[in-house]
Amino acid sequence: MTSSLHIPRGLSRRSLIGLGAAGAGALGLAACGGPEVGGGGGDGGGGAEDLDLDFSGVEPATKIDFWSSHPGGSQDVEKELLGAFTEETGVEVNLVTAGSNYEEIAQKFQTAQAANSGLPAVVVLSDVWWFRYFINGNIIPVDTLVEQLEIDLSDYRDSLVADYQYDDKQWALPYGRSTPLFYFNKDHFSAAGLPDRAPETWEEFEEWAPELTEAETPYMYPDLAGYAGWTLQNVLWGEGAAWSDEWEITCNTPEAVEVMQWVQDSVFSDGWAQVASSDSADAFAAGVCSATIASTGSLVGVLESSSFDVGVGFLPGGSVEGPVCPTGGAGLGIPAAISKEEQLAGAMLIEFMGRPESTVAFSAATGYMPVRKSADLTELTEETPQIQTAVDQLDQTRPQDFARVFLPGADQEMAKAIAAIATAEGDVQEAMDGLKETLEGIYTKEIEPKLP
Amino acid sequence: MTDSSRTVPGTDAPRTAASPPPGRTPGQSSPPVLRRRRMSRRARRDALVFLAFAAPNLVLIAMFTYRPLILNIQYSMLDWTLGSRTATFIGLDNYIEFFTSDAGLESLRITAIFTLFTVGGAMVLGLLIAVALNIDVPGRGLARSAVFAPYVLSGVGVGLVWLFIFDPNFGVLGWILRQVGLDSPEWFLDPDMSLIMVIVVYVWKNLGYCAIVYLGGLQSLSQDVMQAAQLDGAGAVRRFVSIALPLLSPTTFFLLITTTLNSLQAFDLLRIMTPTGRGTNTMIFESYLQAFGGYSRAGYSATISVLLFVILIVMTVAQILFVERKVHYS
Repeated sequence: MTSSLHIPRGLSRRSLIGLGAAGAGALGLAACGGPEVGGGGGDGGGGAEDLDLDFSGVEPATKIDFWSSHPGGSQDVEKELLGAFTEETGVEVNLVTAGSNYEEIAQKFQTAQAANSGLPAVVVLSDVWWFRYFINGNIIPVDTLVEQLEIDLSDYRDSLVADYQYDDKQWALPYGRSTPLFYFNKDHFSAAGLPDRAPETWEEFEEWAPELTEAETPYMYPDLAGYAGWTLQNVLWGEGAAWSDEWEITCNTPEAVEVMQWVQDSVFSDGWAQVASSDSADAFAAGVCSATIASTGSLVGVLESSSFDVGVGFLPGGSVEGPVCPTGGAGLGIPAAISKEEQLAGAMLIEFMGRPESTVAFSAATGYMPVRKSADLTELTEETPQIQTAVDQLDQTRPQDFARVFLPGADQEMAKAIAAIATAEGDVQEAMDGLKETLEGIYTKEIEPKLP
Repeated sequence: MTDSSRTVPGTDAPRTAASPPPGRTPGQSSPPVLRRRRMSRRARRDALVFLAFAAPNLVLIAMFTYRPLILNIQYSMLDWTLGSRTATFIGLDNYIEFFTSDAGLESLRITAIFTLFTVGGAMVLGLLIAVALNIDVPGRGLARSAVFAPYVLSGVGVGLVWLFIFDPNFGVLGWILRQVGLDSPEWFLDPDMSLIMVIVVYVWKNLGYCAIVYLGGLQSLSQDVMQAAQLDGAGAVRRFVSIALPLLSPTTFFLLITTTLNSLQAFDLLRIMTPTGRGTNTMIFESYLQAFGGYSRAGYSATISVLLFVILIVMTVAQILFVERKVHYS
């Protein structure tokens, strides 16, 4: 052996033992962390029945973390509200920017679950994520906390609070809630001699579209990365179709295929629409299109950046009567794997953020909808009258299709199918058949075995 | 086995203090036991120094490289939803799915195209730029800095700037095309155009690295050989092709390995410029999308990572075994 270190045989033996110990340590470390491996399918309904949800006698933590993506550019108003909360309760809140959108905050939250450390007391969770957290046992039902803190759920807007109910439990409370809105350029509509309002149906807009020649395109579909599956529910529902009927995937029914064929025709053969390559609200504000659909959360930004008169209206309907507007946006939830003291303090924060005056302040800063019925909207609508349209539209909302909000990755798969139809001019029936097969596979593999 | 029971080489006699090693007769100075003790102390001291320097690094490497690697292999055989505390062992099902699904094979195809064109593009353009930068003209230093600058810029920043350039509605590229009566390609909606877009930006960002390394290679070439060839009547192109290029083969080999490894691991630009991954989901991006892009499939994501790791190893070893044979080191 030629070694400049002159390691003798005895030391080599010890080195060998040391290496063995290191190897054993590495294997030991490898055995630590990660999921518990078993033959089952998962937690089965979040494992809520195993949780101790009695908070009587629990003292709230004095310092907690709040993970937010600051929806609608809400960082400043969140800081203001948290300052007021600390002043009132003495609970110090560390506002953590846990991502720039719902997906990034979900990424951080899920990673923290895997690490089983660093979890916040309150987390912003979007419409497509909370159910996954429930399935995985990541969040607790808030019913007992609602009762203990005397939160009046009946004063929350019914459709918004109902969005977080499953298995007879309440899993989160509304926060930055939105619906899609129809945005139109009043100047362009006026120049085209059209009425100063949003179209009542898509058929009506189709008749108007040839007159709208001021912009590059009369209408712009939201970009595929920006929740195309969310906004297209409007068109599907208007014609009696849907992505799914509860857990039954219905995206390839004749009605759904006909609707998506209409979408394809609007882009290619009729040519009155385009698919946005980035945020359609930005394209609309820049005057690239005369109309688009975007979230109410984009309202304040569009109003600030547009150099023209912005009109907003309800989403156009179809030939079938009934609500055609989906709800969306985010709520606030409480992680399961934190102390009861933190959970209680987190619930206090959720109660505070949901108060009528808090939700009005949040809406004024962002354009998201006030989530309480008793919220005084006078000042808010004086400053931004368009918000009243969003609030009024709440009566026309309908819970989203299970396939979109409850199936992991469904939104991405819907975006792929829509891309094949509306950007690549692919065969509509084939795209929707493929989507159905994929969504059914996700349900069978990821959801069905874990439902309670 | 104790020291006293060790045998003397070539004999069956046990080696003791009374039976010295071969070549040393009894009565000579430095008795073997004493000598061995001195070596032992020195060896121990050296070993302690070795451990003092190496142990912290070894521990860190074990914790943050080998441990994740081992865990990743373990996770790749699980059906595990990210965030769930439980998972199911499914053996090689994830691997089978990757190689039998359209999505898996598509990711493999995109990885191959992206790697081929980014490595080839950066190396060829880098070499040409290096040749230009090797000419002694005023402002050469500034030009070298300008060429190298994109390489040290943040991939996120570069991606955001190029997003504005490529934007069909607001971007300068679309504006230029419209000035000559052309429409902008749908860089963000057409998967094929998206792949071309990220390849262009990735090559732009990384060719400075190839150019600087090639420039170093060019400047280390023996001028005697080049001058001798010139005296023999070889033109500039002939000298470059027949002499400079073969002599640059160690540089080319080094760049081939490093740029291939980097391209296979490219992520930031792809994530920023094409967040949905349509048409640009190379294996590492697909691994991210499967875990964090909405699917939450941590087990399948780990499978793609393991496969990428294997591909990286195989390609590196193959390059060393087969490509290095054609390298001229002198």
